[in-house]
Amino acid sequence: MVPLRESIVTLVLALVLHAMAYGSILALAAQGEVLAERAGVVDLGVEGLMALGAVLAVIVADATHSPWAGCLAAAAIGAAGAAAFGCATVILGASQTLCGVALTLLGLGASGVLGHSVAGRPVTATLPQWTLPGLSSGSPIGPVSSQGPMVWIAFLILPLILHVFLFRTAPGLALRAVGEAPASADASGLPVIRIRMLAVSAGGALAGLAGAAMTLSVLPVWSEGMIAGRGWIAVALVILCGYRPVLAALSSLFFGFVMSLGFFGQAQGWPVAPPLMNMSPYVVTILCMIVPSILFPKLRRLWAAPAALGAPYRREER
Amino acid sequence: MRGEGRQMAVISFRRIVIARMIAIGIVFLLVAAGIYGLGLDPGMVGRLVVTSTFGTRFGLENLALYMTPLLLTGAAVWLALRAGLWNIGAEGQFLAGASAAAAIGLSGGANPALAGSPAAFMSSSLTLVLAMTASFLAGALWSALPAAGRAWLGVSEIITTLLMNFIALYMVYALVTGPWADKVTGAQMSSARIEVVLPAFAGAVHCGWPIALLAVAMLALLFRRSRFSYCLALCGSNPEAARYAGIDVGRHVFVTLLLSGGIAGIGGMIEVFGTVHRLQGGLANGYGYLGIVVALLARKSALALVPAALLMAIILNAGIVLQTVQVSASAVLAMTGLLVFAIAVADDYAAWSRSGRAS
Repeated sequence: MVPLRESIVTLVLALVLHAMAYGSILALAAQGEVLAERAGVVDLGVEGLMALGAVLAVIVADATHSPWAGCLAAAAIGAAGAAAFGCATVILGASQTLCGVALTLLGLGASGVLGHSVAGRPVTATLPQWTLPGLSSGSPIGPVSSQGPMVWIAFLILPLILHVFLFRTAPGLALRAVGEAPASADASGLPVIRIRMLAVSAGGALAGLAGAAMTLSVLPVWSEGMIAGRGWIAVALVILCGYRPVLAALSSLFFGFVMSLGFFGQAQGWPVAPPLMNMSPYVVTILCMIVPSILFPKLRRLWAAPAALGAPYRREER
Repeated sequence: MRGEGRQMAVISFRRIVIARMIAIGIVFLLVAAGIYGLGLDPGMVGRLVVTSTFGTRFGLENLALYMTPLLLTGAAVWLALRAGLWNIGAEGQFLAGASAAAAIGLSGGANPALAGSPAAFMSSSLTLVLAMTASFLAGALWSALPAAGRAWLGVSEIITTLLMNFIALYMVYALVTGPWADKVTGAQMSSARIEVVLPAFAGAVHCGWPIALLAVAMLALLFRRSRFSYCLALCGSNPEAARYAGIDVGRHVFVTLLLSGGIAGIGGMIEVFGTVHRLQGGLANGYGYLGIVVALLARKSALALVPAALLMAIILNAGIVLQTVQVSASAVLAMTGLLVFAIAVADDYAAWSRSGRAS
């Protein structure tokens, strides 16, 4: 029985490894979106920013031979794209839905044009593995303890920082106030527009970083369409987890698991057509959006979106 | 910042046109700058686009062929927008419609012995009618889950309709690599050829073009002072007031999204039977997303969908030209994104009067 048990353990470990790697992409993007939405701005451009981040990370990492420079460039382009979106929606007050969709199209298109020359070429300067201190590789969960840095950042460092920031600090309170009641926040002297711009840009930086995590760590090659709706799943996750960073990270792990099941099915030769397996994350996301609101209608009040979500703030309309 | 502005309830046509002309001008400048940045001469590329689009019969026919799906996906998004709903899933509904139509087309199979006879004509027209009905139903079915979620559970239709696109795409992959794979030529990611075709209209342009125009005209007629259109507008602008007036908002939302999906589905059928003659992975070609732009450009007038679709068809044609000079096909997507961005800002800007008198 020992060999069987061992093979199951290795199988589960490999699955967890995959789930953490793919989940980290979602976790970074989703937590960025939590920041933006807590400040009252729906940024539907995550998908486009991830694509831009992914392609720029490859280009810069290849040119400088430094994956960290690639990450920095990805975060910068994400922040810049989100800032442009913020200029249109937060400062000028244009439709957030429309500008978000525009940002997605622009990001997907521009990444295709930029990545034309590097498409399909394997990335050489990938991120190193970070091993969690205190866990020797000999222990049963040894293989899982050594992962790309973005996994640890997405699941351990960022949720902690964001949770403390949002719910335990004054700037975090200011950010939430701006998303709940911008007029009151404005009256009490908070710079509503500036806070929203900062939150949206920071969220965009994380979306860009999510793209970099994908091409520099999880799947080290750029190809068009590789983001494949992960940005949209991240946006859906934010709603599912009730705009809470820790829950966003946890549910990203779950969706990472669903995504890795697809690869696993193919590797293990499950008798299901690969496209059907690849379909599963999207099906699960839709079900997760619809089923809980049937089962727990009362949950909606507790899980509610920030009150001013999606509405531009104009002082003269106060 | 805008300062002492007031948002206007009704925006004059002139303000919109001026704001949009400026926006489109800026987009053109940015695109020209981008082309220059890629090391090409924008003037040369521009001339190439104009001559290849308007200078040849082939170019003009291509415009009509591009316009056809754009008119239908545009009409789909436009209809949902009338009720304040965002159907970002026209791409998936288009593919669902195409798949259902292909199922009918592949199962029928033209009988060569009957070629040219009245019986063959009857059977092929029956196939076309069946395929069109099936595509409408499939498109509607594809939007049913997001529609129900939005109508009765308050689940954002933006994300659910979009996610359905990916499911449709993988479904088409599963069909064209599995049961419907082309066993004759062995083409990758493609079904066998469908023998029944839409009759020609003029040259290479098939009947889909007038059908799409007719659909838009019917939509315009439906929205001329009809009770339905009034209810939709009320549901979209103020659901509380609509409920107070005795309108079943949930049902209107559901039916509208279903209709919207059905229209996009017909677009898929026409693309399969008119232009591509196969079910393929890349069939939808972004038409669903471009439909958002078409609907946006048309604003509140259904008839304005026609010039809007024409503009997007020109941009798509420009994308082909760009590909011949080694620019990625996704340049079209980037241009579209810029255009949506610019139009969104322009429309918002036009809605504000600096004087503060209009209200």
